Amino acid sequence: MNKVSKIKTKIQWNGDTALTLFFDEEAGEGLTRHILSLVEEFKSTFPGMITEAIPAYQSLTLCFDALAIETDTIEKSLGQVIEKGITETTGTVASRLIEIPVCYQEAYSPDLESLAEYCNLSPSEVIQQHTQNNYLVNMLGFLPGFLYLSGLVEQLNCPRKEIPSLKVSAGAVGIGGNQTGIYPVESPGGWHIIGQTPISIFSPTAKQPFIAQPLDKIRFVPIDIKKFEQLKREQA
Amino acid sequence: MSLKFVRSGMQTSIQDSGRSGFMHQGISRSGAMDPLSLQLANWLVSNPLNQATIEVTLIGPTIEFSQTLSIAICGAEFDLYLNGEPVFNNETINVKAADILEFKQLRNGARAYLAIAGELKVDSLFGSQSTHLTARFGGYKGRQIQANDVLKVLSAQETKKRELPEAYRPTFTGSYLLRCCRGIEADSFDQESLDSFYHSTYKVSVDSNRMGLRLEGKPVPFNTSVEIISSGLTQGSIQVPPSGLPIISSVDGQTIGGYPRVANVISSDLNILGQLKAGDKIGCLLVSRQKAWHHLKQKQTFLNKVLLS
Repeated sequence: MNKVSKIKTKIQWNGDTALTLFFDEEAGEGLTRHILSLVEEFKSTFPGMITEAIPAYQSLTLCFDALAIETDTIEKSLGQVIEKGITETTGTVASRLIEIPVCYQEAYSPDLESLAEYCNLSPSEVIQQHTQNNYLVNMLGFLPGFLYLSGLVEQLNCPRKEIPSLKVSAGAVGIGGNQTGIYPVESPGGWHIIGQTPISIFSPTAKQPFIAQPLDKIRFVPIDIKKFEQLKREQA
Repeated sequence: MSLKFVRSGMQTSIQDSGRSGFMHQGISRSGAMDPLSLQLANWLVSNPLNQATIEVTLIGPTIEFSQTLSIAICGAEFDLYLNGEPVFNNETINVKAADILEFKQLRNGARAYLAIAGELKVDSLFGSQSTHLTARFGGYKGRQIQANDVLKVLSAQETKKRELPEAYRPTFTGSYLLRCCRGIEADSFDQESLDSFYHSTYKVSVDSNRMGLRLEGKPVPFNTSVEIISSGLTQGSIQVPPSGLPIISSVDGQTIGGYPRVANVISSDLNILGQLKAGDKIGCLLVSRQKAWHHLKQKQTFLNKVLLS
């Protein structure tokens, strides 16, 4: 059955053509479902006016075409939708469990040892802890196909690097703060790199460019270098 | 019909008006950094206004054409030569087979847009033909143009000659006042810090690119104890990282930001960002959102007089 969902929300302008909704609720499955439902609701209430709906852990940013909307009243109109509460529409979204192979061996884990030391663990304990849980995909964003995951065990939390690396390769698996994730494309980055996946996280020309959707679950599966190279060849 | 790049230029890429509706998957707008010049160039060759063009950055290419067609260049002014004879921005130029167009010395601005009467034959991905240079997809092989690349053009033709009226020709002085709205995290900055930000002149850093424009000058201190909740990062957002030196996000930037945003460049001034180069001077002026909307509508009405004619 669909349930009505209401979360304390603050609305703020973000530039002259976007409004950001901040939610007074912990990030997680419930909030992700709420955000996805809100986006549906807004898109049907304001057809053709919302150019982007960008979720983050605890916020949702809606961008408008300022020439197409009543700029003076849009904030109020959004507020009314939120005030009314929304019917959750994502109850039936299937959550898949996606296994991502990761090679944690030395050649692909430049920061594994230093992170292990910071966490007072051995490198193999870090790998064990990193691969034991399923992670929830809260949303995508930041870089093309980047997955915002939650579920990293507290013991593996480690502040980001003071000086970000200029170049982190696509497929690098890292930890930064209380987050873990995979770099979908080569980019600068401040996370500690503890492994590398041979599979593509973002394939722009593929039918399914993204490896996962919000509400999917991810599990990292350790592989050795031989398997890594085999999978890499199969991708090419 | 095809274009051959004899020389590539510094960062030449295919750009249209960009992608919309994919930021929730981490895909930023991409597209022309000066979408206004893109539209004017397309207008001069009677193309749909948001069609893909060739974006030329700081050092321009040398291009050989394989047949007769019309072209036009808008935006940054380079010394332009067609077979050694000077040609100019802001008017339709007809070229013939084997003609060679050279972009020489840059006179002002940073990015020029070369429109071709016809259609560049490149794939459309995520609703646009633009090259997303950071994510390496779209446009020509997902990358900037290299020497000896050959671009195919469909339905190339000679079009009616047009000239841009004087009032529509931009001037890029190298010193700009960007009008801004209050940023979403402006509360992280105390009044003294905000005053200093709005009264300072910043210099555009050489480390600027299509992801963002880095500014040099007086750091903007902020209160680090105010918790920042990450949210959608829109084009023109002025973020302040721990160094205190502002970064203005641009078309190829990240889609979610976690640094406090002191201000946002208003929509009607965003095209200026595409014309900034290292050493240019920037000042920021705070305006109300109502003013920002008014300026945007006014600008569009003014442009429509030409663009819809």
